[in-house]
Amino acid sequence: MAEAQAMHPGDSTVASKTPLEGKKIFLILFLVVLFIFPVFQVIFDGLNYVLHIMLYMFMYISMASGWNIIGGYAGYSSIGHNVFFAVGGYFSGVIFAYLGLSPFLTAPVAGLVAMIIGLLFGLISLRTRGPAFLMSTLALALVVRLLFDNWALLGGSNGMSIPLIDLPQQYLKLPFYYGMLLTAMAAVYTSYRIKHSKFGLGLRAISQDETKAEVAGINTRMYKIIAFGVSGIFAGMAGALWAYLLTYLRPSIFLELIIAADLILMSVVGGKGTVAGPVLGAILIIGYSEFSVSQFGYSELNIAVLGIFFLIVVLFFPQGIIGTLREHGKLPKILDWD
Amino acid sequence: MHTLQTVILGLALGGVYSLMATGLTLIFGVMRIVNLSHGAFMILGAYLAYFGFTLYNIDPLLSLFIVTPLFFFLGIIIYKSIFPRITGSPRFMEMTILVAFGMALILEGAMGKYFTGVYRSANPSYVTDSIQFGELFIPTGQLYATIVSIVLLGLLWAFLNFSRLGYATRATMQNRDAAQIVGVNVERVSTISYGIGMAMAGASGSLISFLFTFFPNKHWQWIAILVSLIVLGGLGSFVGTLISALSLAVIASLVSNWFGPVWSPLTFFLSLFIVLLFRPQGLFGKKLEEE
Repeated sequence: MAEAQAMHPGDSTVASKTPLEGKKIFLILFLVVLFIFPVFQVIFDGLNYVLHIMLYMFMYISMASGWNIIGGYAGYSSIGHNVFFAVGGYFSGVIFAYLGLSPFLTAPVAGLVAMIIGLLFGLISLRTRGPAFLMSTLALALVVRLLFDNWALLGGSNGMSIPLIDLPQQYLKLPFYYGMLLTAMAAVYTSYRIKHSKFGLGLRAISQDETKAEVAGINTRMYKIIAFGVSGIFAGMAGALWAYLLTYLRPSIFLELIIAADLILMSVVGGKGTVAGPVLGAILIIGYSEFSVSQFGYSELNIAVLGIFFLIVVLFFPQGIIGTLREHGKLPKILDWD
Repeated sequence: MHTLQTVILGLALGGVYSLMATGLTLIFGVMRIVNLSHGAFMILGAYLAYFGFTLYNIDPLLSLFIVTPLFFFLGIIIYKSIFPRITGSPRFMEMTILVAFGMALILEGAMGKYFTGVYRSANPSYVTDSIQFGELFIPTGQLYATIVSIVLLGLLWAFLNFSRLGYATRATMQNRDAAQIVGVNVERVSTISYGIGMAMAGASGSLISFLFTFFPNKHWQWIAILVSLIVLGGLGSFVGTLISALSLAVIASLVSNWFGPVWSPLTFFLSLFIVLLFRPQGLFGKKLEEE
C-alpha cells in the first residue's frame, strides 16, 4: 500500500494540471484492490491459479512496458528482448543457488545487470540506424542462448534447479504476486515518467525522423542506448522472480523467441508508444492464451494465431487499440494514461 | 591438408549461404523490406522437398524445379495482398519487419502443428557419397547443392545485367524515386523482386532438405545467420553479400573444426557485432540514408 501512495505524488505533478482527478482516484483504487486481493487467498485458499495468472500478467506488463520504451517511444523494435529476462533470471538464480541470497533481494540488482548488458550491447549495435539494430538483437538472443546452452557451470541446456521458497502451499504465490506487482508498477511508472520528460520527447522525435532529431541537437545515439538499457531493467527484475518461482534455470524457459514475440505483440496490440498500451495488450494476450489453452489445449497452432494477430494489427490497426480509439476520439478516460 | 579440406567444405557451404542471403538482399535492396520470414519459408520449402522425396520419391534436386516456381508465385501473391497496404507509410520499414515476423510465426506454428517438431532430413542416395580428389574430398550432395546455387546465382546475375527488367530492378535498388521518375514501373519491379526473393528461399529450402536436419523452429537460427550475413555485407549490396557469405562460411567451418560444431553459428553473430562496432554500414555498404 505504501508503494501505491508513493506513486501518487509523482502522478499529481502532471495530473493536477488536467481535470482527470476521477481517473486518478480510479487507478489508485484499482491498485488498492490489487494489493488487497491476495487476502482472499490467505483466508479462503484455492485461488492459487488466479494469483498465478495475475502475477504472470504483471510479469508481462513489466516486460512489455519496458520494451515499449525502446520499441514504442524510440521506434526501434528489439526482437531479442527476452535476453534481459534470461540475464535477470540467471543472475539472481545463480547467486541464490551458490550464495543463498534471496532473489527478492537481488532482483533490483538483476535489473541493473540487465541494464548494463543493454547499455553495452546498445553501444555496439545502435551505432547504426534502422534495421541493422533489430537484426542484431535477434543475433544477440541466439548468442545468449548458445552461451547458456553450453555453459557447464550453469547446467547447460539441461539447466540447474534452485531451492524452493520455504512457504506452505497456501502462501507460496504471495511474495511473487507482490514482487511482480511492484515490478509492473515500477515499469509503468517509469514508462509514464519517460513519456513526459525531455528524454521521452527526444525518443519520440527519433521515432519520427531521426535525421531531423539529430539536427535539432538531440544526441540520438546516446538517447537510443539509454532507452535500450532502461527498457531491459524490468525484464531483468521479472526474470529474477520468475526463476525463483519456477525453481529452475533453463535456457528454454527464458530464451524462446516466442517470449520476445509476445512482448512485441502486447505492445503493438495495445498501442505502441502509449503508456497504457502494453498493459492492456499484456492483459488481453495473456487472457486470450490462457483461455485458448484451457479450451482447446496447447498446440503449435497457438504460435500461428499469434502471427495472425500480428498481421491483423499491423496491417489494419497499426496504432493498436489505444491509438485507434484515440484517433476516433473514443478512448475512455480510464485508459488514457499518457 | 586438413585445413585446406575444411576451407573447401566451407566454400562449398558458402555457395549455398550466398543463394539464401541473396534472396534477402534482393528484397531488401528493392523494397527496403527486412524479410524476417525468409528463414521460415526456406524451412517450408525444405518440408515440401522432404515430403516430395519420402512420399512420392521425387529427388529434392528435381522437386526444386517445382518448389522454386511455386514459391515465386506464392511470393507474388503475398506481396500483392500485404505490402501495397503499407507502402508510403512513414514507418514502412518497421511495419514490414513486424509483418514478416508475423508471417514467420504463422508458418512456424502451422508447420509445428502439421509436420511436428521431429528433426527431418531427406536422404537421397548421393547424400552419403563423396567425391575424392587425391587426398581431398567433397560430399556429393554438397557438391550438387553448390552447383545448383552457383547456377541460380548466375541466372540472377544474368537477369539483372542483361534484361530490361533487370536494369529496372537495379535502378530501383539504386534510387527508388529516381527510377520512378524515369519511367520504371516500381510497383511491378517490386512484385517480381519479391517473387524472385521467395523463389530463392524455396530453392534454398530444397537444398536444406538434404544438406541439414531441420525442424519448424530452426528458421530463427537460419534467419539470424542470414541477416548477419546481409548486414555484414552492407544491406542491399550483392557483392557484399556474396563475399561475407563465402568468407564467413569458411571461418565458421574452421571454428567448427577447432572448437566443435556447436560454436560455428557464433562466428556469424560475433562478426556481425564486430562489424557493427567498427563499420556500422557493413563491409560494402554505402551509408544508408533513409528517404
